[in-house]
Amino acid sequence: MLPKTENFKRGAAETLADPIIQESMEAVYNGFHTNRQSAGAATEGWDDQRDRGRAIKEHTIANLDYYLNMLADNVDANGGNVFFAPDSAAASEYILNLARDRDVKTVIKSKSMVSEEMSLAHEMEAVGIEAVETDLGEYIIQLAGEAPYHIIAPAIHKSQDQVAEMFKETTGVDPGDTPEELTITARGMLRETFQRADMSVTGVNFAVAESGSIVLVTNEGNGRMCTSIPRVHVAVMGMEKIVPSIQDLSMMLRILIRSATGQRISSYVTMVNGPRRDEEEDGPEEFHLVIVDNGRMRLLEDPKLREALYCLRCGACLNACPVYRKVGGHSYGWVYPGPIGAVVSPVLSGLKQGKDLPFASSLCGACKEVCPVRIDIPNMLLHLRNEVAEGPSESRGSGRMERLGWKAWRFGNMKSGRFRRGGKMANFLGRPFARDGMFRRLPPPLSGWTRSRDLPLTTSTPFRDRFKKRRQRGEG
Amino acid sequence: MAITGREAFLGRVRGALSKSAGVPEPDNATHLGLTDEDVSAAASAVRREMSDNADALVDAVAESAATAGWKVRRVASPEDAADVVAQICVDAGVSNVLRSDQDVFNSVPVDAALAAQGITPSVATVGQAAQDVPGLKQAAFDAEVGITGVDYAIAETGTVVLHPREGLSRLVSLAPGRHIAILNRGDVLPSLDELFTLERSDYNAGEIEGSMNLISGPSRTGDIAATIVDGIHGPFEVHLVIVG
Ligand code: SF4
Repeated sequence: MLPKTENFKRGAAETLADPIIQESMEAVYNGFHTNRQSAGAATEGWDDQRDRGRAIKEHTIANLDYYLNMLADNVDANGGNVFFAPDSAAASEYILNLARDRDVKTVIKSKSMVSEEMSLAHEMEAVGIEAVETDLGEYIIQLAGEAPYHIIAPAIHKSQDQVAEMFKETTGVDPGDTPEELTITARGMLRETFQRADMSVTGVNFAVAESGSIVLVTNEGNGRMCTSIPRVHVAVMGMEKIVPSIQDLSMMLRILIRSATGQRISSYVTMVNGPRRDEEEDGPEEFHLVIVDNGRMRLLEDPKLREALYCLRCGACLNACPVYRKVGGHSYGWVYPGPIGAVVSPVLSGLKQGKDLPFASSLCGACKEVCPVRIDIPNMLLHLRNEVAEGPSESRGSGRMERLGWKAWRFGNMKSGRFRRGGKMANFLGRPFARDGMFRRLPPPLSGWTRSRDLPLTTSTPFRDRFKKRRQRGEG
Repeated sequence: MAITGREAFLGRVRGALSKSAGVPEPDNATHLGLTDEDVSAAASAVRREMSDNADALVDAVAESAATAGWKVRRVASPEDAADVVAQICVDAGVSNVLRSDQDVFNSVPVDAALAAQGITPSVATVGQAAQDVPGLKQAAFDAEVGITGVDYAIAETGTVVLHPREGLSRLVSLAPGRHIAILNRGDVLPSLDELFTLERSDYNAGEIEGSMNLISGPSRTGDIAATIVDGIHGPFEVHLVIVG
């Protein structure tokens, strides 16, 4: 996905001015946030589980070369293929070549943020391969020609009327308008696609070094469809998504799922150990694991940013973040929104592009508080602000107020032990602008976003237009 | 098969970490340091616990499975279990029933109970319901009910664990709108920890399957108007029949 991170101010202003999104999102985030908060609180030893989860990630990332090597050996031993991709271009090239070589017509995708980094669905459509997102939320935003709004709930900003309208345009029949009717309509549309798919591209929630396995977590079952039906299964992972042992999975699954949705477990957890065995009834004949760097080395090499690679992509910090809740997922302009996105997106897509993002936080600390692996996001944001301010002048895009704001922060945090006070001060400064714990107008140094309103976020050709064209050609 | 681009990539990882290649210091954070003997001893202890605590575990899973969204029925005998399965099919008004080819159907007479209701189930194997994998896929998508056994259930989470293999298609518990799983007393694990202990022990022994599915309730989505709806891609209704 081409970064539009430089549009943060515009996107944020648009969203803030949209009363529908503002109203619907607040209720939803509150639900999400409350669910997972109470799930966490109700979990015996939650803090201990988080410590253990963090310890696993810390150890694994500190020895990442060793575990990646082990993972590759074991995928290979299971009869799978491994491709180490230095960047997203290399990863898409590998996957596109594979699809062409295996004469693939239809690809089904199951939520993979890394494949968003490479705009894989677009790349496939461009060479005439049908690529369909199968997570319902992803499917909806693909029909709309948009980017995911939230890591866990990509279409959270769409009202059911908007969804009904899109389904009607796509199918030509009235899909009804309740969530139940719309879900049944989507079921029918996607089941037909599943049956003819000959390749799948999935993400990876965890890869297990010792056994060469990958683990997928879904509630819908699209992950299972993707690992059951097509001839070829390609799993794409960021290089950090690894745990050493099969036995490490229980703890990691618990903290991921509870933080993501507040459930004790998701409807489905699927573990894939390579291609189908010869005697099996069904399943993919080929398994490929694509391990992607795409800028992650920059996180790894900076000891202050390394812990961003512990992230499980649970989305809890998004729901907790007062800034995300106001400005919305699209404002962040790249694959990863919210507090963790404000760290990861600028580094992965180039700090120059995303120079606004490290300022997209009031440093209230709510993200760190909820994070299942206790990632210190506020501290990393401060570090990145530092880099923006000290970089060459053309990348120093923040206005005078923002720089002043940042200076105050640095002052507040120069000596150890000051950080806590800095965080409190942010709350205090933010208070006049807040109601019900939410920022109606963002406090300085963020207020620039609430005032500027320029262009809307651009989108590429909506998927449903292309879908219609294909149907007209009688191939849909 | 093939590994491409490894050396250059790992070189960059080592550069970023400022370290050279080598085995990490042992670390208690991960279970990796446990020896094969440790793991197999732990697995034996798990199996003992499954049978020693079978009653408590089966009570616990009946409760957690209901919470997870399974419709739970407990019966005393295999014959009763078969009758319950047939009754679920009759109540749902279905006739296209698919089942796996697992041992459980040798003890639980599902075919006979269904036949008494005028239903003939197909067996979801390439050898029986279909001649090839696409045929099996078609059969699974056409079926209204899929019936399977259960490899393990998990008391902590209300989960049914299945390892697809010969006789157990990946799709029979996924593509039909309803899934009925038959669980025998004695196959219930306390928690995810014990499951992954057994998996690792199997892996060490070279006995791991191509995949494993943990199923905890119906297929669900919350993606339209943040309303939870059952049955987006997989079954909208899941039944757990517990024998004994
Ligand atoms: S930073 Fe933490 S809370 Fe945010 S998505 Fe990652 S793991 Fe979840």
